[in-house]
Amino acid sequence: MPHIEDPSSNILFPMRSPRKHIPVPPGSISSQTRRLFLQNAGFGLGGAALAALMNQDAAAAGADPLARRGLHHAPKAKRVIYIHLVGAPSHLDLFDFKPELQKRSGQLCPDEFFQGKQLAFIREQPNLLGTPKDEKFAFRNCGKSGIEISNLLPKLQGVADDLCFIKTLHTDQFNHAPAQLFALTGFSRFGRPSIGSWVSYGLGSENRNLPGFVVLVTGQVLGAGNSAWGSGFLPTIHQGIEFRSQGDPVLYLSNPKGVSGPERRMVVDAVKDLNQLALDDVGDPEIATRISQYEMAFRMQTSVPELMDIASEPKRIHEMYGTQPGKTSFANNCLLARRMVERGVRFVQLFDQGWDMHGSVFDRLPQKTGQVDQPIAALITDLKERGLLEDTLVVWNAEFGRTPMAQGTSGNGEGRTKAGRDHHKEAYTVWMAGGGTRPGHVYGQTDDLGYGIARDPVHLHDFNATLLHLLGIDHERLTFRYQGRQFRLTDVHGEIVNGVLA
Amino acid sequence: MRLLKFLPCLPAIPWVLVPAAGEAPDFNRDIRPILSENCFHCHGPDEDARKAELRLDSFEGATEGGEFEIPVVPGKPDESELVARIFSDDPDEIMPPPESKRSLTGRQKKLLRDWIASGAQYDAHWAWLPPRRPAVPEVKQAALAANPVDAFLLRRLEQEGMGFSEPAGPATVLRRLSLDLVGLPPTPREVEDFEAAWRTGQDAALAAAVERLLASPRFGERWARPWLDLARYADSNGFQADQLRPSWAYRDWVIDALNANMPYDRFTIEQLAGDLLPEATVAQKVATGFHRTVTCNVEAGVHPEENRVNQVVDRVNTTATVWLGVTMECAQCHDHKYDPFSMEDYYSLFAFFNNTPLEVSLPKSVNDVSHDFVGPYMDLPLPPEDTGKLAKLDRRLAAIPRLRKKLIDNPKSGYDAWEDEAAKSLANAPQWELLEVVAFTSNGGEDHRTLDDGSVLLSGNVPGTARYVVETTTELEAISAIKVEALTHPDIPGKGPGRGDSQRTNFILSEIDVVLHRGGKLVPLELFDAKADYSQKNWEVANAIDGDPKTGWAIGQEFGKPHWATFTLAEAVQPRKGDKLVVTLEQNFGRGRVIGRLRLSAISDPAGIGTLPEDIAKILGKPEGKRSRKDKNALTDHFVKNSPGIRELDLEQTRLRKERAALAPDKTLVMVELDTPRPTRVMARGNYLEPREEVAADTPALLPAFDSSLPRNRLGLARWLVSRDNPLTARVAVNRWWAEIFGTGIVATLEDFGTQAEPPTHPDLLDWLAVEFMESGWDMRHVLRTIVTSNAYRQSSKVTPRLREADPRNLLLARAPRFRVDAERLRDNALAVSGLLSTKMHGKPVMPYQPPGLWRQTGRNEPKWVEQKDENRWRRGIYIVYRRAAPYPSMVNFDAPDRAACTVHRPRTNTPLQALTLLNDPAYVEMALALADRILVEAEPADRIEHAFRLVLSRPPTGAEKRRLGVLLADRLAHFADDPQAARELLDNPAFVYKPKHKDRAALAAWLIASNVLLNLDETMTKP
Repeated sequence: MPHIEDPSSNILFPMRSPRKHIPVPPGSISSQTRRLFLQNAGFGLGGAALAALMNQDAAAAGADPLARRGLHHAPKAKRVIYIHLVGAPSHLDLFDFKPELQKRSGQLCPDEFFQGKQLAFIREQPNLLGTPKDEKFAFRNCGKSGIEISNLLPKLQGVADDLCFIKTLHTDQFNHAPAQLFALTGFSRFGRPSIGSWVSYGLGSENRNLPGFVVLVTGQVLGAGNSAWGSGFLPTIHQGIEFRSQGDPVLYLSNPKGVSGPERRMVVDAVKDLNQLALDDVGDPEIATRISQYEMAFRMQTSVPELMDIASEPKRIHEMYGTQPGKTSFANNCLLARRMVERGVRFVQLFDQGWDMHGSVFDRLPQKTGQVDQPIAALITDLKERGLLEDTLVVWNAEFGRTPMAQGTSGNGEGRTKAGRDHHKEAYTVWMAGGGTRPGHVYGQTDDLGYGIARDPVHLHDFNATLLHLLGIDHERLTFRYQGRQFRLTDVHGEIVNGVLA
Repeated sequence: MRLLKFLPCLPAIPWVLVPAAGEAPDFNRDIRPILSENCFHCHGPDEDARKAELRLDSFEGATEGGEFEIPVVPGKPDESELVARIFSDDPDEIMPPPESKRSLTGRQKKLLRDWIASGAQYDAHWAWLPPRRPAVPEVKQAALAANPVDAFLLRRLEQEGMGFSEPAGPATVLRRLSLDLVGLPPTPREVEDFEAAWRTGQDAALAAAVERLLASPRFGERWARPWLDLARYADSNGFQADQLRPSWAYRDWVIDALNANMPYDRFTIEQLAGDLLPEATVAQKVATGFHRTVTCNVEAGVHPEENRVNQVVDRVNTTATVWLGVTMECAQCHDHKYDPFSMEDYYSLFAFFNNTPLEVSLPKSVNDVSHDFVGPYMDLPLPPEDTGKLAKLDRRLAAIPRLRKKLIDNPKSGYDAWEDEAAKSLANAPQWELLEVVAFTSNGGEDHRTLDDGSVLLSGNVPGTARYVVETTTELEAISAIKVEALTHPDIPGKGPGRGDSQRTNFILSEIDVVLHRGGKLVPLELFDAKADYSQKNWEVANAIDGDPKTGWAIGQEFGKPHWATFTLAEAVQPRKGDKLVVTLEQNFGRGRVIGRLRLSAISDPAGIGTLPEDIAKILGKPEGKRSRKDKNALTDHFVKNSPGIRELDLEQTRLRKERAALAPDKTLVMVELDTPRPTRVMARGNYLEPREEVAADTPALLPAFDSSLPRNRLGLARWLVSRDNPLTARVAVNRWWAEIFGTGIVATLEDFGTQAEPPTHPDLLDWLAVEFMESGWDMRHVLRTIVTSNAYRQSSKVTPRLREADPRNLLLARAPRFRVDAERLRDNALAVSGLLSTKMHGKPVMPYQPPGLWRQTGRNEPKWVEQKDENRWRRGIYIVYRRAAPYPSMVNFDAPDRAACTVHRPRTNTPLQALTLLNDPAYVEMALALADRILVEAEPADRIEHAFRLVLSRPPTGAEKRRLGVLLADRLAHFADDPQAARELLDNPAFVYKPKHKDRAALAAWLIASNVLLNLDETMTKP
């Protein structure tokens, strides 16, 4: 009969398939042991209790000193808060100011911006569109670093010295769903694991009572759907778990109507005792796993509501973030993200919908920035005050950028709309903060009209390789064998962007 | 150390794959995996990636060498450069090089050395060679071999000094068999009968049970699940808007084909090319839905050709995975790194699938956020009773224009009277009178207020869709027509009249209904003759009264302006005091395409003056002498078109069209071949914008040649796949079925039989089964029957410490496997034991309970989750609607995929989310209620625990189990008897549809708790 001590002791590492190969330096007993385990925990056996959703990572369990130093090297970041602005914000009006574009606004764009290019919506040679000249849209040099940020993000201007910008990110895809999949899974069609799943697979979780990869969404679901946080061919325990702000935060978390806490305990105890009898008889270690999963489920019923209850935060914090308990808002999600990383959730991903501004960009952009500016700045400040920013990586990203050319004047008659910007894959701006990134820094430069890259291009594969690097993961060695070959997040590409490392 | 204590004696590699001491390494088993993993990347089949002109994937390549010393000198490891390189310490010399981040273990190096020493034999990869029927081996324990399956397994076990476990008891065997073959547990009665039969003769009892289950219609429903995972069958497009689309007839085809035991060759041909068969039947065309299940991106920026190419790529890759078990997709962008497939092979296969039409087209308006889905559908046949009705309707509808023309050509008298009355009415100028709004309700949750002009202005929440119900009164003595005005207002985004989009202020009036409320009576008023000031193309105002909720009246492009529509009553009504006219406006398009400001009015105007076109009214206003000839013609023309006879015909036409819309046949997606094939070119780096040399349709060069007698189209390809000399199709299929039953394939990599595959644990058995399968006439049931009547299948699944130590992955099957069933069977099982399961088959996808709000609006024509409160909520999981962006959540928690891509095997996880689902999902709690009721109704108090175990686990409880459940029950019974309010709280749950029969509420509540426990047991969800 298998010997199960405390349920927590059988949680070793989130890896279960015999066909996964995460090479570890040979030699030490622990690495051998882990390799033995990796090669033998049978596929489909549910990992014999070893692979709960809530795996503690090996570092926390003290089982593997290598893991303490990161999977492949010492990590700078231990956890990630990844903010994805769904639809793609107009980076030219927020971060990448182009005086030349402003000057030539209204002129027909150069032929090479249009001829032979794939654009999502623009069908006739468009005009250039500069950022408006009024104060509301002006850029300001911020902090000691002097980084330029639009007045549309006044609070973010205040933390500019903590941010590390990449102005030359570029991607392969220019439609939302494929581009979201490409940014988040490294592949433009369905079926590959998302970056959060890869990280969960590589590093496990630091908390026994919460998932290692949590997703928070404001607005509609995005085009890529659940695949944006799916686990692809990785075991499903690595998929992102969506925490909802309405109803149960995790589906089926609350007891059925009329079932009290003590009654639930009775049910779980009865299930446990009967399962234990079966285990004694049959000896299948999978039953032991089941027993411990029911215990974890029971604990989650307490830990998740506690986590989601932001009402317990002091007034100062609510004022700082602009949060209102009980509401669905991006601000609430930012505060929740901080509470999650505090509790050891490895990867928190925030999706905020509503940035796809093909028309009326200068009316709509201020509305959206008004929703996110304060909470994001508060999140960075708050993490910093708590000493968490040092090893927490905060990321601002989108599936692509927006064109320096205008779109939206193609309607007819009264339907004529105000100008917006189309999808743009050639170059866009993202930023990171904390987690070993170089603070107050700008990497890369676009051309004068903000169309292409003048120097230091960063491909999305490079960006993803860099994120993994900060987490102590070698993107070329975090692999999973599927369909006869080793897959990785960065396919066969990806160069670490050393210029953004602290 | 703790880890070792917990995982004792684990060998470093699956030991069944290790050569015995003193034996020379076997190339396919021991050497190819090392070379393939570590060397072929640069020294393999991909010419472009090859370094130093050296290839190690063939004997010639390895022994001739490239730019350097000869890598492999057979029999002479010390003269072989390969050995020198792999054992080197010099970073510039060592292979694989450090930058490749690959390295060889000491054991691997030794194996390579030993292999060269033994002659460096290269064997062809086993899977490329056709299977031959091997001799059934002699075994020591011959009595234990019920059939050849046992013999192959026993031989391997005996080599390790092992044997089968003891046989399982009959109840376990029947439960296992039922879950495997029909996906449902046996009933207590079936268990009893089987146990009786077992006592008289095990083999006969088993054979009879197997035949009974194979013949059950439940068989097809259970085995359709893995096939539909392969076919990535779903009910939605995937991507941005993820709209639903009809493909369920294909799902039913699969179920029916499995139930009919359609031979696998025919099963293959009909799905890949049913449309190309001579005189293809409807069913054969439905079968081609297999390749129309592929995702489709209607996002507006997508180029239709790009979407089409992506779809063809998916079809090629899925075909290769499902039938050949090879990963062709690698060769989409470059020659395959490990297997001998070139890019030319890939695009030659692509050419077979390259002849279907585009499935999306550019939207009509450049501002539209979605493409139009234009992929081919096929109408499904109507049920016979509807066919006759439809023909009659169509005949009459076809006749109406002729009758109408006749009337127009022979105008009857009455013109003068009409002109008189019209002129008189015009003088009295019948006016549109406002219908006074006394109540306005909407299901959209908006705010509204009535403005001074009697119009209603909507504000606040913008719902996706809405139904406005407007209660009005009027002073008019008679009403002959109704007018709907959609007005603008500065508070509406973009001025309106529609609310959803400030740029495109459209609305879509899907359907309008008018009902007269008189006393307690409701009199529906029939509308016809719809007119409007303007209608968008394809959104004519007549659509608002055609009874089809998918069509409607819209005003696209004419944004920011007021619009009106009028509808004539078939018969004028005379309202009395206290009557109310209730107007219902359905606006179900989605995305807030709803009217922002609404005004209703009515007119009493039997001559139709008020609805006269302006020009006609103008002519009538002129004195007769001043009317031109043209004026007169216009008047006559107008009269004729509005004369009573014509009016009748128009009314009838509207009515018949409504009836016909209700009879519209269901549709399904099918493959349709273009008349002229598209040329296919190799695409550089897989990019459709970089076409290279043209290729003809052909099968991969490595595999048996494409017979010249076969047509070079999908039909020929399908026939080639199931030809007797194809080495892969049969092996791949039987291996999947084996894995479905035993948990792991004979080849563990079900999706890959290439050189990177895990070697088969029992190669002879795989080949024997493959040959047996083909020679039985591709009879799937024959294979299943052979497997489940083996003694291996009948073993106990107990995991003894010795077995765990000897074979932790149970690769040799010294015991039966024991694992949790898949998501569908898990739910079906709980429905079956609770007595709720509906065995209704086929048809549109069903929507049982799921937590509210999961299908958030994702785009136009937002599909809604409409929970079914009838037996449909308790139908088998295979019938639940599969929406790719949001599949049924409780099944997702048990590893159901999103079906966006071909899934060969589902993972089998064990997570806390699963515990939460089974403990708390109201759907499962409702099942617990039904189970509680069933136990209470069916058994006497003293027998209830025993009955419960027999229902749920197909066996009586042990003493300890009985005591444990008894303790819980006693406690809860006392509690609920003491606290009836607590029982009410538990039992009166608005999520429940099931109405229990048992009247004792305390007992019901206590047993609900106990049933909740039983449905959560590991054994309940596990194939024993």
